[in-house]
Amino acid sequence: MRSRWERLGLRARVTFIFAFGGLLLSIVLSLTTLTFTRQNLLDQRDDTAFASFTSNGLDVQAQLTEDADQEAIDAIIESLSTSRGAFPLLRVDDIWTGRNSTRFDTDGVPDSLLSLVEADNAAAMRTTIDGVPAIISGIRLTNSSRDADYYEALFLDDVEDTLSSIGVVLVAASFATTLLAAALGAWAAGRALSPVGDVRRVAASLAAGELDTRLQAPADADLASLAASFNGMAQSLEDRIERDARFASEVSHELRSPLMTLSASVEVLNNNRDSMPERGQQALGLLNDDIQRFTQLVEDLLEISRFDVGTASLQSQPLHFVEFVRQAVTHSTRPDSLVVATPDVGDLVVSADKRRLAQVIANLIENADKYGSGGIEVQISTYGEAAILAIEDEGPGVAEAEREIIFDRFSRGSSGGRRGYDTGSGLGLSLVAEHVGLHGGRIWVEDRLDGNRGARFVITLPIGDPVGEDFE
Amino acid sequence: MGSRILTVEDDERIRTSVRLALEDEGYEVIEAESGEDALLAFGHDPADVVLIDIMLPGMDGFEVCRAIRKISDVPIVMVTARADTHDVVAGLEAGADDYLTKPHAPKELSARIRALLRRVRSTDAGSRQMVFGELEIIPDEGVVRVSAEDVHLTKTEFRLLVELASNAGRVFSREVLLDRVWGYGYFGDGRLVDVHIRRLRTKIEPDAANPRYVVTVRGLGYKLQA
Repeated sequence: MRSRWERLGLRARVTFIFAFGGLLLSIVLSLTTLTFTRQNLLDQRDDTAFASFTSNGLDVQAQLTEDADQEAIDAIIESLSTSRGAFPLLRVDDIWTGRNSTRFDTDGVPDSLLSLVEADNAAAMRTTIDGVPAIISGIRLTNSSRDADYYEALFLDDVEDTLSSIGVVLVAASFATTLLAAALGAWAAGRALSPVGDVRRVAASLAAGELDTRLQAPADADLASLAASFNGMAQSLEDRIERDARFASEVSHELRSPLMTLSASVEVLNNNRDSMPERGQQALGLLNDDIQRFTQLVEDLLEISRFDVGTASLQSQPLHFVEFVRQAVTHSTRPDSLVVATPDVGDLVVSADKRRLAQVIANLIENADKYGSGGIEVQISTYGEAAILAIEDEGPGVAEAEREIIFDRFSRGSSGGRRGYDTGSGLGLSLVAEHVGLHGGRIWVEDRLDGNRGARFVITLPIGDPVGEDFE
Repeated sequence: MGSRILTVEDDERIRTSVRLALEDEGYEVIEAESGEDALLAFGHDPADVVLIDIMLPGMDGFEVCRAIRKISDVPIVMVTARADTHDVVAGLEAGADDYLTKPHAPKELSARIRALLRRVRSTDAGSRQMVFGELEIIPDEGVVRVSAEDVHLTKTEFRLLVELASNAGRVFSREVLLDRVWGYGYFGDGRLVDVHIRRLRTKIEPDAANPRYVVTVRGLGYKLQA
């Protein structure tokens, strides 16, 4: 069973994998960069903090005389040179003196540091003061004449600022990398799959009947063999279809000579019909009918094989549409009073092949006659740039499911055991469809417009230049 | 009745059956199985109508048609494979008067033959001589002259010309001409008219490309310019 993943399509999958890989890689790189940068920056600050702290501690110890009062202590603190973000804090006896009590005072010193310093250790630890990370170092000034501790806090907010700026840049870079990877993946997949796209296009064109379409041989050796075998397949398909089409055409051609003999000979018999016994006359009647049917079948087969072989060509001429349809109806031995034209048709002229269009009308009328139980109406109208011819009958109509296949060759409708809508040869309606298609028109069958029982066959023909081609 | 018909057809069975059917209609039938035979037979004893199958071994139907046309204006009917091929136009240009497709009913064939054997309609113009510039037509004598020189037309070309001349200046649609000259209805093949008009022009026009007498009326048909 195909998973959802496989249903995504190769191209989407490759793009996704590239994007995912790009994302993963950039996250790892970003995290590593961030960690190292942070470590580096902190180490640097540690060193700075410790150096400043040590020198300041010594300064304080040296300046803190036994008789130094609070004022002197303030002065000492003020005189200390501290790096940016560093704040000193001095305890002398129980009095704490700092430079900026809002940033750093006793409360900022962790208890653990206090106790470490109390135990005569010099110590430093990282903590946060009012949410700001800082390194706090402390030392007992043991050589001083007073009981004093010196502390210094180095705020790391600038480090954090730097790190977060770097973080933002890294996130943006990761995002860009991911997009780039996705684009690269899509491009690479597209490149890799472009022969598949070509194959798809060519196969679609073959399926649409363009049998001489071929793949261009790609430069890539891997794909060249695929293209070669694909083209080989297309060639044999084309050959085969052409052979079949030519076969049908040749068979019909070959049938014409014996048919000619049959038709001439049966005519001789017809001339002597009266001198025949009744049984002979009966047989002759059958022979006549079937020779006629056979002739029609061969004619239709030949006609339709011309479409298959591709030699069917239109001999268009300007036709006065209403007049033409009336003549065609009369030619089909029906009164032209069946023809009803809407006023907008007027003396519309269409450019059409007289022989083919006459066959279209004859076949549709024959069809309506055969399966449409009597009443036929031939309607002429226009719609936009098309001339419309509709033939309505009073038969059982054509079931929805059969409205397409009715135009297939030798299709026999299934409903009610009838042979379905078709002329005798089984090719009548498909020929009609081919003729109409050759004219650039459309054909379909629908229900009667007035809601009564019956089928309505509609053909449309493009309306051409009123004068059309010259008479030559 | 009693007209002689030469049928040129290589298939013996078709030839025989067509002969039988035509004989029933009262025609006398001469058979030829090749173009060469046909020319021999025709030279020996000209027929009233010639029926030629285009697909012949050796000399093909077009050649036979041209060869006969050189020596005679006898009506010729071509039998072609298909109506919508170039064969029809090629056959008409080779000089045929009409064509039939295979298979056709013998009744159709005899109807064609009858139409071709019809005499020139005694038109309203009667035997009156008609003159249009340098063109002179005498229907009853079957004579056409251009610049006082006799022009040789086939029977069908002549009928077509007389039809146009009998009502000079009037536009004849192809359908009307098909009916009057060939006896076809609305669904006759208009190429019959077109090719015959072309043939007629090469014979009577000083410049066939720019006709002076038989002119085309675009979209409508043809007329004889008085």
